[in-house]
Amino acid sequence: MDDARATWLVETALRCYPARWRRRHGQEAGELAALLIKDGTPAASIALSYLAGAARERLTPRPGPRLTAAACALLVVACSVGASAGLLASAAPARAASASQARAHAHARCQPSSAGPVPGVAPAMSRPQLIIWEAGHGRSC
Amino acid sequence: MSKRDASAGQDVLRRVGESSVLILISLADGPKHGYALIQDIKELAGVELGPGTLYGALDRLERLGLIEPLPSDDRRHPYRITVPGAAALRVHLDALERVSAAGRLRLQLGGI
Repeated sequence: MDDARATWLVETALRCYPARWRRRHGQEAGELAALLIKDGTPAASIALSYLAGAARERLTPRPGPRLTAAACALLVVACSVGASAGLLASAAPARAASASQARAHAHARCQPSSAGPVPGVAPAMSRPQLIIWEAGHGRSC
Repeated sequence: MSKRDASAGQDVLRRVGESSVLILISLADGPKHGYALIQDIKELAGVELGPGTLYGALDRLERLGLIEPLPSDDRRHPYRITVPGAAALRVHLDALERVSAAGRLRLQLGGI
């Protein structure tokens, strides 16, 4: 590969870096490439290395005030959604349980006293605290 | 990364990659610019660092405060290892030495 073509290849690869990087390292990187080519390193492999570096540079997120604020906002939103979903999920079975308890309470009033489980309240009975409540109620009735 | 992290015995170089460790080792005996680093690492470890890899590692090490660029009139910027950088390198090399010793011992015990 002739010098002009090698230089063009490396410069094209260097143009893929963000402007901030080129301002900082651009000239030095060009000079380093020229030295490596003089040493016998193929220009294509240098260009490939710079292309990979440019891709990494563009894909790696830089921690900054804007990014940190966005991350915090996302975290807050995720937490509130998670908390709401959790509350909804815990409220639904409780509501269902209280409805079946009311039904069971009405039914138990007309039954003779018994500490055993009340038929027809199986969903609510699966919760330990409800079993205690039913047993106590059965005794007092 | 602060000086305290390295002096507290935390191996901060565990996740930075081999190229960054080689750069720190190369800078341990004095400041060098990009081309000198590539040549030195080639001699030292037989690893040919690509220029893209080199600049990525230099930026990462500088962000971590392990190296710093020196002022230069030339286009080439020499870099030098910082005090926290030297401490982090020492901790990392100690860790490598422990792992290496354990590996050799197990090979011996295994009779391989």
